[in-house]
Formats: sequence, C-alpha cells, structure tokens
Amino acid sequence: MQVFKLFFMVLKKNIMTPMIYIIVFVAILIPMSRAGAAEKTFKDASLKIAVFDEDGTAESAALRDFIGRKHEIVKLANDRDKIMQALYFESVDYVLIISDGFSDKLASGDTEGMFSTYHMHETYSTVIASQLLDSYVSSVRGYLAGGMDMAEASAMAADAVLQEAEVTIARSESGGVLSSSSASYFRYLAYILVSVIISALCPVLLKLGKKEFRFRTNCSCIKSSSYTLQLIAGSVAFIAVIWLLMMVVSVVQNGGMFAGNAWFAVLNTLIYTLVCTAIALVICSFEPSDTVVSLVTQIIGLGSSFLCGVFVPMSLLGEGVLAAAKFLPAYWYVKATEMLGGNEKFDAERLAMYMLIELGFAVALMLIALVVNRVKYTGAAIKLPKLAGENAK
Amino acid sequence: MENTVVKIDNLVKRYGELVALDHFSLEIKEGEVFGLLGPNGSGKTTTINCLLSLLSFDKGSIEIFGKKMTPVSYDIKKDIGIIMQNVVVSEELTVRENIDYFCGLYITDKKLRAQYVDEAIKFVGLEDFTKFYPKKLSGGLLRRLNIACGIAHKPKLIILDEPTVAVDPQSRNKILEGIQELNRSGVTIIYTSHYMEEVEQICTRIAIMDKGRKVAEGNKDELKRMIKNTETISIEVLGLGADVLAEVRALPHVYDVKYDEKVLVISCSGGKHNLIRALDTLQKHEVSFGRVYSELPTLNEVFLEITGKALRDKEE
Repeated sequence: MQVFKLFFMVLKKNIMTPMIYIIVFVAILIPMSRAGAAEKTFKDASLKIAVFDEDGTAESAALRDFIGRKHEIVKLANDRDKIMQALYFESVDYVLIISDGFSDKLASGDTEGMFSTYHMHETYSTVIASQLLDSYVSSVRGYLAGGMDMAEASAMAADAVLQEAEVTIARSESGGVLSSSSASYFRYLAYILVSVIISALCPVLLKLGKKEFRFRTNCSCIKSSSYTLQLIAGSVAFIAVIWLLMMVVSVVQNGGMFAGNAWFAVLNTLIYTLVCTAIALVICSFEPSDTVVSLVTQIIGLGSSFLCGVFVPMSLLGEGVLAAAKFLPAYWYVKATEMLGGNEKFDAERLAMYMLIELGFAVALMLIALVVNRVKYTGAAIKLPKLAGENAK
Repeated sequence: MENTVVKIDNLVKRYGELVALDHFSLEIKEGEVFGLLGPNGSGKTTTINCLLSLLSFDKGSIEIFGKKMTPVSYDIKKDIGIIMQNVVVSEELTVRENIDYFCGLYITDKKLRAQYVDEAIKFVGLEDFTKFYPKKLSGGLLRRLNIACGIAHKPKLIILDEPTVAVDPQSRNKILEGIQELNRSGVTIIYTSHYMEEVEQICTRIAIMDKGRKVAEGNKDELKRMIKNTETISIEVLGLGADVLAEVRALPHVYDVKYDEKVLVISCSGGKHNLIRALDTLQKHEVSFGRVYSELPTLNEVFLEITGKALRDKEE
C-alpha cells in the first residue's frame, strides 16, 4: 500500500486550501443553523409597554389590566426626556398615555384623542401595539352596541382579543421535506464540494500521475494496475471522508437525523460528489499547473454556483441564465435540492430524473477524462525517447 | 565463468519510418561496469527504456538474469535499480520518506526496509539531510537522493542514465566513487554518459552507439587500438625547414604531420619509440626545440574517428 500511503502524505501537504474552504463554510453555517432552529417554533410576541393613566376610571384600569395580561407593563417616570431615552435604549417598546376622558369617548364611540403615544417610527412593536389597542377599542364598542354594559364589554373584549390561536408552522406549501435552513445548507454544498474536491484532489493526482513518476514506478515491482488501483482507493477514501464530514455537519445543522424523503438530499449530495470527482479528473487529464488548478477551482466553483442558483435563488435568475445553466450539473443538483426544500412540488419521478441527469454528467465527464488520458498516453509513447533526454532522431 | 546479466539480441525499435535501434545486440557480464556511450539521439536511453520494458520493441529479445524481460517480469524488476536522468522524487516527502517510498516499492518488510533506507542514506552521505524536503537540497544533494532512491533496495543490476548531469565536481566525484564502491560489492552497473572522462574512469567495458547501432565495443584499451592514431606527439619548435619536415614525414609509423610555425604535431599509427625517433631527427638537423608532449588517444578521438562526429554534440 505504498502508493495509497503516498497519496495521503502528498494530500497532507496540499490540504490547507480545502481546509480553509471547509472551516469558513462551517463557520458561516453556525449562525445559519441557529436561524433555522428558531423558525421551527412559534412564540407570540410580548412587548414592554409603559402605561400612564390620566383618565383614572374603571375603563382605563380595565385597559391597563388587558395590556398587562399579554405584555409586560414597564414602570417609567412620566418625563419626556426619560421616555425618549428608554425608547432609544429599547428598555421600553411602546409608551401609552390613556388620555383624560377615555371612558367617555369609549362609551360615546369617539375615538379621537383617546390615547397619546411615544414609540419608535415604523417598528414591528409599534404596529403590534397599535393593532392591539385598535382591536380592543373596536371589540368593546361592538359588545356595547350589542347591549352589554361597560364592565362586561371590557372583559369580553379582553378575552376575545387575547384569545390564542393554535399555530402550526407549515414547512412548505408544496410539501418540502427539508427545513429552509437545511435546504440552504444542501444548496451551498454544491459550491463547497466542487471547490474542496478540485482543490484537494487535483494537486495530488497531478503529482502522482506525472509521467516520470509513473515511469519510475513502472520500473519497480509494483504492478501498473495496482498503482492505479491504489490511487483510486486513495481518492475514494478522501472523497468519502469529505462527504461524510459534510453529512455529519448537515445532521448537526438539521438538529437531528434525517427522516423519510429527506434522505434523498443525502443521496443527491453523494451523486453530486461523484460529479465533482469527475470534474477533478477531467481537469487533471490536461495536466494544468497549480496556479491554473486554483484558477479553475474558482471559475467552476463560483461560476456554476452563480449560474445555477446556489447563492441566488433560482426564482431570481433570468430565463436565459437558467436555460444556459441546464448544461451544468450544479443546476440539476440545485433543482433536486429546491424540490426537497419545498420550492417545487415533491415528485419522486422528477427527483429521480434530476439525479439521473447528474449521474449522466458524472459518467460523461469520466469518459472525457479517460479519452484525454488515452490520447495523451499514445502521444507520450511516441515522444518517449525525447522525453527521456535524447534529441529528435 | 562469469554469468551473463543482460543479453540484448538484435533489438529493433522503430518510430514510424525512423529506426531508433537498428539490430542492436549487447551482452553484459556479472560484475561489470558497462558504459553505454553515444551522442544525443544515438539510442542510449531508448535501449534503457526497452531494457526496463517501458517501451515495446519491434524485433529482437532481451534477457536479464537469464530470463526473458517483459513488462510483468516483477521477479526480474525486483533486482534492478534505476537512476533516471531527471531527478524523480516527491517534493512533498522528506529525504528519508522519499527513499522509504521507493524502497517500499520493492521491499514490503518494514523492519528490513528501515535498515536498507538507513544504509542508503549513509551510502550517499545524506545523514544530515534526512528531514529536508527536496526543494531545500542543492543540485548535487538532489542527485545523491535520486541515487539513494534507486539503490536502497539492494539491486543486483543498477542502471544509471547520465546521473552526473549538471552536478558540481565535488558531488560528481562522490557519485563516481559510490558507483565504484557498489561495483566492488558485486553489483553489475550499466552507465550511460556524455562525459568521456567518467566513462574512462569507472567503466570496465564500453559500447559506442551511433544512429541506433553499436559501432564499437571493448575495454578502453581495445577501443583505442581500433583506431589508426595510437600516439600524437607535439613539439614546440621555431623555423623548421621543409627538408626537416619531409624527413619527419618519412619516419616509420608517422601518417600525418602538421606544422603551424610554432608547434609540430606528429600523428603516429602503431610502433614503438616514435618520440625518440622524432627528437633524433630534429637533433640531427641541429634544430632546437621547447616543450615536448606525447599523448595517447582519448575515447573522444576514438569516437570521432569511428562515428565521424563529436560525442557531446552541442553540450559544453
């Protein structure tokens, strides 16, 4: 297993760039996964509201109690500067002053001048608090119109407005099997997989596949087929490690093991990993320099990611771009991920078709690599005497 | 009787219309340091590539250690060490790791391999550089590493393809001494080079190649006897008359005389006491002379006369 061992020794010396890709990617994923976890539960918003009761009636007290049932009543000095300061530092979200004459206006249906408020301009807390007051006042007036007295109407209105609805978070209207954060993760994997595999695999294969190195090895006891097999074994082991690592991160990011159709995302990634390996093999067959490999990694990684909807959702891409992207494997990977993420109605047959197209790309690319190597090998045999140090005969 | 280690019989290698090896035959005995000499394009490296089964050939046969050599003759390959013209090592491995890798292609036993690697390091004098990466080594040290990678598994036959190209004189001497030491330990060596002095210094037998053919073979004395010139006499002399020159030309074994008003150059073919006869002739005519040189032919002259061209072509 000398060649297999050598593969990893050479890989060790060339692993820095791929490691940077992975570390940066995972580091970006941590806030992403937190955001994803927050989406899974619903919590009703509770505001910090300061209430100043200038009316001092039973109705204004009922309103204050109503507010206190759902939101936090904050004590605050009735001083404009202190109120402004509290709003600025967000120690209070909304300041409500129940104006003198509130109960009379409530009874008469005159809504003008019932309240005066201090609040931040156009914030969600302002909207929630305003809607809360509107709902309460409207409900009280409705119950009063229905013949109830003020005390009953206030109580009923408070109950009605504060009634909690059962909230179920729909993952997707079209039946997605991945959470949105997981879908994003799998989408971004298209970039990271292609970048890591090309930047790690190409330098190693190029160094170990060098003509002179192969000739030198062919002079030894090791069979040529064994040399190739050990190189393949090394590549497969490395790719498997990268894929497994990414899947472990995806499970952590998902907050648990995948279930049901979500496993298709894992399968889709495995197929795309094969595509990336095939791309790396095609690049290697042209024997580029390290600089060119680095350049090609960027072009393929970023280019296909932008064209195929890895970074920008497909829905935002133009028709022309999408038509061109269909000729790239990343497009079909993202299509499958989008379906699993719920942006497209789940259809097992179409999903299988997407994955088969990806596999087709992998096979075609591997055949190209094979043909190029074959042509190169034939050429090398003809030129061998010159390469070995002799002038043209 | 010495065993035949390498036997090449009527080897023909064509590249389309071009004949790279033209019915080339060779026999190398055990314990020899065999020099393969020839200008660029003469077929030396093609011969070695065929010998190692890196190249197929159109006609003929190759036997090594009495067995037919094929690309899958791993039992033969395990006893061959190859030191290629270009340094073939991995930039990602240290000196020790490189030697261990190449030795590991032949020796699977880790303990034995570690011992062989240590011995190879000591043999080429790289003890102080075992943890160095190749890019930190000088050209000479790199060549020594290349040699260590080729000999670590203790082969019985070592093929060195121009191992001293672009090497400083100190490292070159170290390499040549090493080759002689290997030979003394019983290893058969095939050595290709452009450098005549190296071949004269270390090779016990030499074959001269040109245009894919073997044009001469023998030890250096045998080769030198193959050519007309056996001695070149140079005498510093001024104002030599035509009558004296005519007398020198008429001396036995003299076949060419050149005089440029300063130095008289007399080329002799065979015979003994040529120098004494030439000096006697000058004294007889009371011609005073300065420094006198007598030179035996070099391999370069042998090569020049046999092939009609200089050995090193455009080199140096």
